Formats: sequence, C-alpha cells, structure tokens
Amino acid sequence: MKEIALTEIEQAVKSIAATALRNEKYFSDLDAAAGDADFGVSLASGFKVIKADWDEFDRSSIGNFLLKISMVITRHVGGCSGPIWGTGFMRAGMLAKDKSTISLSELEQMLSAAIDGIQQRGGAVAGDKTLLDALLPMRDAIKAHAAKADSDPAEVLKEATQVANEAIERTKPWVAKRGRQSFTGERSCGTPDPGIVAIATMMNDICESFGIDASS
Amino acid sequence: MNKFFNQAEDFVPEMLEGVFLANPDMLTYVPEFNIISRSDRPVKDKVSVIQGSGSGHEPAHIMAVGPGMLDAAVPGGVFAAPPMDSCYECIKRMNSPEGVLVLINNYQGDRMNWDMAVEMAQAEGITVKSFVIDDDVAVQDSSYTTGRRGVAGNFFVIKACGAAAEKGASLSELIELATKVNGQVRSMGVALSSCTPPAKDSPIFEISDGEMEVGVGIHGEPGRRRDSLKSADEILDEMFDAVAGDLPFKKGDRVALMINGLGGTPPSELYVLYRRAAQRCKEAGLTIARNYVGEYCTSLEMAGASLTLLRLDDELEKLLAAPAEIAVRVF
Repeated sequence: MKEIALTEIEQAVKSIAATALRNEKYFSDLDAAAGDADFGVSLASGFKVIKADWDEFDRSSIGNFLLKISMVITRHVGGCSGPIWGTGFMRAGMLAKDKSTISLSELEQMLSAAIDGIQQRGGAVAGDKTLLDALLPMRDAIKAHAAKADSDPAEVLKEATQVANEAIERTKPWVAKRGRQSFTGERSCGTPDPGIVAIATMMNDICESFGIDASS
Repeated sequence: MNKFFNQAEDFVPEMLEGVFLANPDMLTYVPEFNIISRSDRPVKDKVSVIQGSGSGHEPAHIMAVGPGMLDAAVPGGVFAAPPMDSCYECIKRMNSPEGVLVLINNYQGDRMNWDMAVEMAQAEGITVKSFVIDDDVAVQDSSYTTGRRGVAGNFFVIKACGAAAEKGASLSELIELATKVNGQVRSMGVALSSCTPPAKDSPIFEISDGEMEVGVGIHGEPGRRRDSLKSADEILDEMFDAVAGDLPFKKGDRVALMINGLGGTPPSELYVLYRRAAQRCKEAGLTIARNYVGEYCTSLEMAGASLTLLRLDDELEKLLAAPAEIAVRVF
C-alpha cells in the first residue's frame, strides 16, 4: 500500500490553514447562531501565524512538524479551541516523531490518538454535537480501509470527506452539550455545529488540493 | 480608571522586568516566555516547584519566586492563562533529575495549557507532575471552572511544597503533601468593587456603591449572590461560617488564618476583619497558630477580601515556619 509522505501531510496542513483563513467570517456567523460568534476569528488568528511562519517549521519528521503546528495553534487560536485543536495535532504528532512516511493504519492510529486527546482535554463525548461527531466516523472509515492491504489513500480521503459532510446534516437536529453552544440549550437544535462544519470544509478543501472530487 | 501603565500590551512584560530589576541577584527573567525563575535553579538534587496563571493576582505567583517558595513562575496576560509553549518552556528550564512539580489553580484555561505542556515534556522524558488546587468554597462550578476554583489557599500549597522541596522531599512526597494541604484548606472571598485590566476601558463587572458580591472569584466571576453591603463583622461572619463549616474545622484544631486583600482594600480594613476572625476562631475553639494579613492573591485593584483557613499538624506548622524569601519585601 502507498505510504503517506511528509510533503502530503504538509499539503494537508497548508490546506487546513487556507480553509480557516478563507472562512473566518462564515465560521463565526455559524457560531453566532447559538454560541458567542468568535469561533471563526479564533481559528483564523492561529492559522494566520501558521501561514506567516510556514517556512520556519521543523520538518525533520512528520511528528516533529505536527508538534510545531500544535504549539502555534495552542498559543494563537483563541479561547478553548486553541488547546482542543492543539491537543489533536499534538497527540497525532507524538506517534510520528521518528517517521518521514506513515501507513494508512498509522494515520488511523494518529487520528484515534487525536480524538482521545480532544475528548480528554475538552471533556466531550460522542453525541455532544462537537467536532468529535465528525472525527469519530472519519476515523472509523479510515480504519475500515486500513484493514485492507490494497486501499488507495485518495479513495480513503474521499470517503472520510463524505462521512464528515454527512455529519453536518446528521447532527443538525441535536442539542449541543459541550462548549459555548451548550449554554443556549435547545437553541442549538436545527443549527449546524461550527466545529463539525469546519472539519467538513477542511476535508473538502484537502481533497480539492489533491485533485480529488469528493462530490461523487 | 486611572492606572500606571504605558501601552496595555506592555503591562505584563514591564511588570516582570520591574520585578527582575528589583531582585537582580536572586532572579532570572526570560522575556520571550514571561518566565521569572530563581537564578540558582534548577539543581540536580531538588524537585523544582513552579506555577503559572494569569497576571493581575500579584504577588501570586510571579512575586512568590524565591528560596523556600517557587523556583519559577510563568504568568499569562492579565487574567489569561499562560500559553502552552511558555508553560512547556518553563518546565524544560526547571528540569531536574528529581523532577518538576507544577501547581495549578483550578481554572479551565490554566489546566488545559499546563496539561498539554506537561504531556509534551513527559514525552521528552522529563519527570514532571502537576497538582490542581481548588480551595474556594463559594461555588461548585464557575464560568471558568469545572469544580471549585483555586484561590488564596494556593499560597499554603506553595509554601508547604516549597519548604519541603528545599528539605529534599521527592516528587511523589510533594504530591502527597500538596494533596494534604489542599484537602485541609478552605477559602471564600467578598468583592466590594470591580477592577479594570489595562487593556479594557471598563470594569470587568458592574457593582454599585453599597453592594457586594459574596463568594467572588479572583477574576470577578460571580459568586454566591449579590447583596447590599453589610457591616465588616457581618461579612466576616458569613465568610467564616462558609469556610469553617465546609471542612469542617473542629474544636481543638490548630489553624493558619489568612485575611487576604483583593488589591484595593487597605491594611486597616483587613485588620478590622482579622479582629472578628480571631474572635470567631476563639468561640469555635480553633487555635490560630499562624496568621497572615495582607495581599497574597489579588484581582488588580478590586476592593474586597478573602478568608482562608488551613488545618495544621506538626508537619505543616514546621513547613510554614521554615525560612523563605520572595521578591516582595517590606523591610
């Protein structure tokens, strides 16, 4: 099976940063429906620094690169999103500190470690209507593929993206139980969770950057 | 609000520089990460004890660095948790073969950043453990915490652990000691005014003349209730009942009693409160073995005070009496 290289991880992170910057207002507007309308601004403030410092990051391994990204996110993304997103990158990075390429099953383990970290840091669980409700089914999709020896990473990426897209509609009627959104209780019903939308938008943009059509 | 500052964003760094300039022989200042540490630390045969939280609570924690107290402190902006990379850098700089003890006041932002920094340092093979202080009896959950807040009682955890570390206690013994102190210390505060961080142009909450916030947090978070101002004795009685009744403290206990000013209340008023607290201790059969009246953990210029009681035993009395030196001196 084809391994995933550092350059591809870099490309994905660069794409994630571009998504955060381009959607600053959109993500904040989504947050305004039931939260405190700062999600997009918080996220963008961190990814702005990633963009500005892009050439400076340690690229000695996939893990070291992700650990540096996690430091910037934790420091510069405002509110609780900083430590939560930063923990995700940190836990993933710790598993790849000595790796210049990773297999699909290693990617799945990194995503699992990120999910565990996010759960631990923020205290959310599946069903609380947070980004975890996008990441968990994505992880399961990748896991199913990783078990097969002949999976094409492009196909896996596409499927994970579709799963994230589905998570937006699937969780829309739910009541948010964590984070700012939860303070408004029933008001969060019927509005998409900004964290889930952000994950899905990032996944779609990563696909596009690799020339993969996720819509079909 | 009239304040002494230059540019709001320079307020914390310039305060730190001032603390360093006043103690050039004792302290090292790392401007890049807001770290103030003892110049003669770390050493290889002693656990390093460090803390970091938002600024605005001085002398906690940045001015509590010194022999027998903290080895280093790393503050964030005013009322903002220190960033994760600064916490991580502080752990790395204070790394000792005996380990590093991180003391954290129970606020969500502080916990998240420190937890990450500790994890990262551990992944690099550094021996580091953290301990969370939650002595505030006012509320179970606040806008910034899950569970009780960490307030002025943290001074006793620092003092006890700082003294024990100097005597060669191991990291696991220090965690045990911190657990004991935190388990026997209780606090509650009352605010008579609000406060204004330099970067803001209005107070962080509104409170009118003749009002008080009972059970206020050290960032002005709401407490138990808003009420009309009462007499000093009545206010102290409410604090005392809440604090003494929580552990509960019992007849015959030897205690340390702290009346902590929140930043804008003069010593004279603190001693008016102490007078009543001493009377209440006597009535309750508590012996005040040590007393602390002054500013230990503040909220900028907020008028108000908190009461802290710590149940003592021989070990704690000795540790509290052990010599210590910090950046703030009055003699």
